[in-house]
Amino acid sequence: MNHSRVESYPITRFLMGNEAIARGVIEAGCSVATAYPGTPSSEVMESLSRWKTELAHKIYLEWSINEKVAFEVAYGASLSGKRAAVVMKMVGLNVASDPFLSAAYLGVRGGLVVIVADDPGPHSSQTEQDSRFFAWFAKVPVYDPGSPAEALTMTLKAFELSEKYHLPVMLRPCLRVCHARQNVTFSLPTEPVDVGAFEKNWTRWAATPKFRLVLHGELNQKIEHVSSMEPDAVPHLVSGTLKSRLAIITSGSVSSHVIDIVTSNPEMSDLPVFKVNLPYPLNRNNVQEIVNCNDRTLIVEETYPVIELQLSDRTNVIGRLSGHVPQEGELVPEIVDRIIRQFIGAKSSSELEPKLKARRPSLCAGCPHRPTFFMIKRLFDEAVYTGDIGCYTLGVNLSAVDTCLCMGASIGMACGFAKANGETDKRSRIVATIGDSTFFHAGVPALINAVHTGANFVLVLLDNNITAMTGGQPTPATGFTADGSVAVPVNLERLVSGCGVDFLEVVDPYDYDSLEDALTRARTYSVDQGAGVSVVIARRPCIRTVKLDPQALKFEVGANCDRCMTCVRDLECPAISFVKKDKIVKIDVEQCTGCGFCVKVCPEQAISAGRA
Amino acid sequence: MVQLILCGRGGQGIVFLTRLLGEIATQKGLDVISSETHGMAVRGGSINSHLKIGPFSSPLVRTGHADYLLSMDESETSNNEHFLRNGGVVFENSLLPSEHDVFRVDAGGLARSIGRIQLENVVLLGFAASLADLGVSFDDIEEKLAIEKRETVRRNNLMALKAGSKVATELKALIN
Repeated sequence: MNHSRVESYPITRFLMGNEAIARGVIEAGCSVATAYPGTPSSEVMESLSRWKTELAHKIYLEWSINEKVAFEVAYGASLSGKRAAVVMKMVGLNVASDPFLSAAYLGVRGGLVVIVADDPGPHSSQTEQDSRFFAWFAKVPVYDPGSPAEALTMTLKAFELSEKYHLPVMLRPCLRVCHARQNVTFSLPTEPVDVGAFEKNWTRWAATPKFRLVLHGELNQKIEHVSSMEPDAVPHLVSGTLKSRLAIITSGSVSSHVIDIVTSNPEMSDLPVFKVNLPYPLNRNNVQEIVNCNDRTLIVEETYPVIELQLSDRTNVIGRLSGHVPQEGELVPEIVDRIIRQFIGAKSSSELEPKLKARRPSLCAGCPHRPTFFMIKRLFDEAVYTGDIGCYTLGVNLSAVDTCLCMGASIGMACGFAKANGETDKRSRIVATIGDSTFFHAGVPALINAVHTGANFVLVLLDNNITAMTGGQPTPATGFTADGSVAVPVNLERLVSGCGVDFLEVVDPYDYDSLEDALTRARTYSVDQGAGVSVVIARRPCIRTVKLDPQALKFEVGANCDRCMTCVRDLECPAISFVKKDKIVKIDVEQCTGCGFCVKVCPEQAISAGRA
Repeated sequence: MVQLILCGRGGQGIVFLTRLLGEIATQKGLDVISSETHGMAVRGGSINSHLKIGPFSSPLVRTGHADYLLSMDESETSNNEHFLRNGGVVFENSLLPSEHDVFRVDAGGLARSIGRIQLENVVLLGFAASLADLGVSFDDIEEKLAIEKRETVRRNNLMALKAGSKVATELKALIN
């Protein structure tokens, strides 16, 4: 985005969906934007930071500690009269659901747009949940963009709608919008919007249950108005003619597949395709009319039947509820094509089923988590390893992660595992692993809980000083926030001690002996003595943030290698492989970062610094 | 109208190539849409990008509809061949010789000889763009890479692009 500023508007650039959304947030005159990183949403905040710099804009940006706090910061900004946006992935909305549902009742002042990225597939998530369904649950209108260009215009519309009805409004882009790129045209940002200073009114902003009942009535009225008055709640014809006796209703990213498929196939080009911008609250009468005018109507939406369920008469409706659209998995173009062919009674295409042998992801060569997992596995055999959300879920490759539930669950679950079987049972040997960002996000209350209840387990904090999985965002321990401005770093050791932990060690995971020593003493403290939670912070920056020294030592395997495979199997470093053809273990110098941990791992001492 | 698949392993510069081609198409006033892989798969896993130039709505190329497949890693080619239409062509980073509809170049080796293995994606692009119409021309790509401000980056990219092109020219001479 580093183009010169002399360009005249409107400008067209090749923008990622998330960049387009960020542009929309800036153009709408938003003053505060908050986020917690999560694929596929993370680039929205990163792009906001770049737009801010490029335009010398004054918007306040922050990576918040978690989605709940991010929502609350944005909500506070809205009540104080400014436009605000909060960005997260769909499972983040689970974390933010408490303020989200309550805010729908209370309403907003400055426009508040909740941007929630969904991940049908799922490609990088625990669930395939549909945030439009969550919006319905909360009684919040939701825009469902079908392309990056549309994501920008819908972001602008969402702010307008939010202010018009004093309601939070959701923008729900799917992965195929977030991570699509397209030629997108945009204009000059408007001045920050200000609807006036906060006016105290406790019956609204601090409403007790009695007033909540009144507010619920107001909310129902607002939603009724949106559905009956807003043109976006009505499906509009985007392709085909009205001559057919069949129709398709669609919304969001999957609508773009539908349009490409019907317009490129002469057998389908007459089929009317109606697209809904605002799938909740739908103009039910209007949609029902389309259904009633046709012999059969196919509904294609992602990932839950939100449009379908809002119809009162579904007799002639083909969709997920009728069993014609799969109940799980992303609706990729091949599946959409099959559904439409089936719908019109055309023969299925003879496309070949791909034979995929996809490479599994792996912790990077030189990743500081690898030695930690290796040592945990070596010292805590027969333990249960509760894991967490981040790059280090890939500890499964080293057989050092047994569970992965949700953000922060490694600690809460460790507590449950420890308590379930009594102190002396072997099943009570537990090692929990969690990254620094995830620990801040949701691990802290669980750690306090474990300390308070006297749970005995070892907690290893994998501290790489960054949110690595999502592309390297700062954490609360970092000295800067989203746009690079100065932040107060929160000290992890003081935080852990403040939670009441008495056993705390900090080690460099590249240092084999210190790592072994610290984990051994933690094992004695928690497992052998039953003295409570022990915490070992394994600290070293993410290898992706380190500028590699081209002169760094490279390692090689000597002739005394007896092919025991300890390094290949137990360390699972992508730089080390067994070459079947030559029956030798080899270190790839291009991938090797020179961490040297493998030297101590090798039982034959066959690995040494090479001449490369 | 052109539909492309670019594939390889995480970290091989697939996203860079996709963006480069999309930016060039955008600057030429063409409609272009693409899709790329992010998140956990990028940690050394299999990744691909889809790029479509023309009046498309969907960012995804359908099975049997791609004109070209640019493969940075020969072991990933088979994971993506199903995207090719009848008569579709593969451009592959490989040490093996070219054959019918599969044009190969040792992009890794050439990149290493320039001094940076990371340039292998640009070598493959130079090779492919010299043999086929990817929707934007070789000259367009060269022009775009030439406006890079950082001198080393500019020089390296242009050297890599030309290295790929040179192999393509030799190959063409061989075929004719």
